Formats: sequence, structure tokens, C-alpha cells
Amino acid sequence: MIEFRGVTKIYPKGITALANVSLKINKGEFVFLVGPSGAGKSTFVRLLLREERPTQGQIVVDGVDVGRLRPAEVPFYRRKIGMVFQDFRLLPERTVAENVAFALRVVEAPRREILRRVPQVLHLVGLGHKSRAKPAELSGGEQQRVALARALVNNPPILLADEPTGNLDPDTSWEIMKLLIEINRRGTTVVVATHARDIVDRLRRRVIALENGRVVRDEEKGGYTREA
Amino acid sequence: MRLSTWEFYLRETGRSLMRNRLMSLASISTVALSLLILGLFLLGAVNLNHIASTLENQVEVTAYLDDKLSPAANKELTEQVRKLPGVREATFVSKEEALERLKEQFGERRDLLAAVEKNNPLRNAVEVRTLTPQDVKPVVEELKKLPGVAKVSFKEEIIERLFALTRAIRYVGLGIAVLLIGGTVFLISNTIRLTVFARRREIGIMKLVGATDWFIRWPFLLEGICLGLIGSLPAVILVGRFYRWLAANVYSTLPFIPLLSPAQVLGRLSLLLVGLGILVGGLGSAISVRRFLRV
Ligand SMILES: Nc1ncnc2c1ncn2[C@@H]1O[C@H](COP(=O)(O)OP(=O)(O)OP(=O)(O)O)[C@@H](O)[C@H]1O
Ligand SMILES: [Mg+2]
Repeated sequence: MIEFRGVTKIYPKGITALANVSLKINKGEFVFLVGPSGAGKSTFVRLLLREERPTQGQIVVDGVDVGRLRPAEVPFYRRKIGMVFQDFRLLPERTVAENVAFALRVVEAPRREILRRVPQVLHLVGLGHKSRAKPAELSGGEQQRVALARALVNNPPILLADEPTGNLDPDTSWEIMKLLIEINRRGTTVVVATHARDIVDRLRRRVIALENGRVVRDEEKGGYTREA
Repeated sequence: MRLSTWEFYLRETGRSLMRNRLMSLASISTVALSLLILGLFLLGAVNLNHIASTLENQVEVTAYLDDKLSPAANKELTEQVRKLPGVREATFVSKEEALERLKEQFGERRDLLAAVEKNNPLRNAVEVRTLTPQDVKPVVEELKKLPGVAKVSFKEEIIERLFALTRAIRYVGLGIAVLLIGGTVFLISNTIRLTVFARRREIGIMKLVGATDWFIRWPFLLEGICLGLIGSLPAVILVGRFYRWLAANVYSTLPFIPLLSPAQVLGRLSLLLVGLGILVGGLGSAISVRRFLRV
């Protein structure tokens, strides 16, 4: 489903964020992306989102060479990917339901579908009762659930999360992670860049560890750090 | 495009106009003022042009004939004049007809003419209309050469001057219009730039969830078009009111000035102003969308 083939990313100032990364992520997998700050996790995610293009190598998603998409094709490619960030990125003056519906509106989904999907996905993330609240009236965990609902409302086959629990306390983080696991159980391929050591160690999923832009470890059922 | 998409656009545009109230109002006022001034200039230009062509179509050249000519000779001479190059129309006016006209012009004071009634001092004449104002001079020269023509008179100068004035107004008006419209486009593009910045977050999210570039651009273009359209309305109303007032006054106090009727000009002028408003608004926002909306 996702394949990196010798991917190198050098930013304009000459910083090498990813160096010759090759790996495969299969459909339906759940992958943790770990590594120290500056290791290249966010770069990995941005390349997949086609916010950046690889300096060298290829990224193939569903048989499509992402780096070679024409600008006009990029929006349609992005509809296959749900994305969640550390800072939630909600629209503050809109309600929860409007924030989620926004993602469907801008891809010109029919009204019927919006009316059907928004409550459904809000229910999935456990926020069915807060659909009329504004983001400022919600806790951090709840805001992240809204962001998750927005990422999922389009039914994307892939979900990317860049430090989704970075701003949350341990209990809330665990709730969000359980939600990601549940989403993965329903068939979505999930890639999570994270520093949450406890959660990675507890869940025992595939772990890809980056350091200075290189893959230093790729383990099924791995922990946050290499086992002694 | 879906109906619900247009609904979405309109709601977003309304939201944005309200959020940016002050700038929106400033843009709308500038559009209104520019189009108002442009409208007044256009009215001035079309009317002067109309007045000039009306005068032009009136008799321009009169050839007074020798008194001793027989009626047959008069007719013959009129035929000759009619065949001159540059002549559109040549009409024989006998001195009796000329006196009648004079009486009409004097109206109630026709008693003043009693003295000349018995012994008409006027002359038979051929009144000539030329094809274009440029034909007047050569036609006058030709008429002077004809035997039986005693005197030629023409009122070329005033028409020339009117046309010159029309041209001047047209150029000055055009220059001012270009400046005003340039300023308006600039102000609208500035307003749209502000809304683009105010909505960076939304734009970012739209891109993230896969909105196409045009889907992102349209609300901004619509906003500019709305500013232009809304601004054109007061201009249309004010220009219309002013012209109706002016025409009514001119018709009652200076009826010999052939002003175009409001019904003749205002329809097309309004359409033009509204169209220009929309164009200016669209252009202004297109500039900002191109420069600041990196999609
Ligand atoms: N837009 C950019 N321009 C230049 N350099 C960048 C850019 N984005 C990231 N970098 C650099 O690339 C390297 C990798 O950054 P990246 O954000 O991918 O790391 P990360 O693993 O996500 O780190 P963190 O855990 O702190 O989020 C860093 O050295 C960073 O300074
Ligand atoms: Mg990062």
C-alpha cells in the first residue's frame, strides 16, 4: 500500500531530513514512527501527504508515484489520506459538527452524505453529544477527537498522525491511541509518529525507528527503544 | 458544480465580508465613487457627441442665389448642387418660404416683420447638408464657383469645436477612468489579500483534506465580485437620479439643447457600470488570489 524506495529528502538549506529510506507498509497495518527530535518523522509524514517532494527516490502509494503527481491530481490523492496533528488544527469559530462537515463540503460531497456521515463519525470518536460545541469549549482530548473525526469522515484508506498525543496528558493520550487502534481494526492503515514511549511499549505494534534521517530499526511488535 | 457548493461559497463570502466590514465598506465606497465619476463623464461625452451630430445634421451650408434667375434656372441649379461630391442633400428654399420661417421664429412679435412683408428682402437659397463635416469646406468652394450663386454661408466652426470638445472630454474622461479603476482594483486586491491572510488556517485545512485549487479560489473571487457589484449599485442609482433631474430641467428651460432622453441612455449605462463593477472586483481579487493564495 505504501512503499518508500530509496527516499532522500534534503531541505533547501542543505539539511538532510531523510537519507535513503526504503520500506513497505502493508494495507491494514498499524505502524509507530519513533525517534529523537529532528530524526525526520514529520518529514516522513509530509512526504506522504505530498506537502513535500522527495529529493531522491520514490514514494508509491496504491501504485501511484506520489512525487510525480501533477498539481491538479494532488487534492484527489489527499482525499485518500486522513491527517491528524499535534495542534488539532480546528476552526475556532465553527462548531464541532461544522468542523467535521467542512472536510466533506470542500470535496463537494452531496448534502445527504454530509448529514449521514458527520453524526456517524462523531459517534465513532465518542463525541455524538458535543456536536454543537465550539472547539474552545472542549478539552484537549476532545478537540483531538474532533480532528480525528474530520480526518476519518471521508473514509480514507490511510490515516497519518503526527504526534497526535503530544499536547495531551497520559490518560487522554491512551484514549486517543485506543481510538486509533479501533480505527485500524476497522481496516484503515494507520501511521503514527510519536514520542509516547509508554504507549508504544504497551501496544507492541510495528515500530520504525528513525535517527538522523535513517531507519535504524524496523520491528514487528517492537518497543519504543531497542530491547537489550 | 453542485448547488450545495454554491450555497457554501455564498455563506463563506458573506462571513468574510462581515468579518472584514471596514475594508469591505471602503472598497465598496471606492467602487461606487469611481463608477459615479465615470458615469458622469460618459453622460457628458455621449450628450456632447449627440448635440454635435444633431447640429451637423442641420443645415450647414446655404448658397444664396442670384435674384434674377428664373424658376427653371433655380431648379436647374439645385440639381447641379445636389450632384456635387460630398453633398448629402440639397433643398431649394424660396424667399417666400424663408420669410415664413422667419415669421415663425419671431412668433408673437411677427408685427416687426410687417415692414418687409410687402417687399421681401430675402433671397432664394439652396440649403445643403454634407456627408461629413470634412466635406463642408470643399463643398463651399465648389458652390462659390457655380454661376448664379451670389453668396455662400456656413457654420462650420461651431460644429468643429463641439467635436473637438467631445474628443477632449472623451480622452480626459478615459484617463480619469483608467486612474480611478486602477485605484479601485488596487484597493479590492488589498481587501482580498487581508481576507486571504485572515483565512490562512481554513485554507490550510482545505488543502489538507483535498479541496481542489479552484474550490479554494472561488470564494475569494466571489468576494471581490460582490464588492464590485455592491459598489456599482449606488453609482447606478445616483447617476440615474442626477441625469433624470438634469434632463427634466434642460427640457423645460433650454429646450433647444438636444439632450438624449434618460430612457435612451440610462439602461445601457447602468449595465455598463454594473459590468465594470463586477469586472473590477473580479480583477482585484484575481490579482490577490494569484499572488497570495499559494495553493
Ligand atoms: N521546512 C524545513 N526547512 C528546512 N529544514 C527543515 C524543515 N522541516 C524540517 N527541517 C529539518 O529537517 C530535520 C528533520 O525534521 P523533522 O521535523 O522531520 O523531525 P521530527 O522527527 O519530526 O522531529 P520532532 O520529533 O521534533 O517533531 C530537522 O533537522 C529539521 O530542522
Ligand atoms: Mg515532528
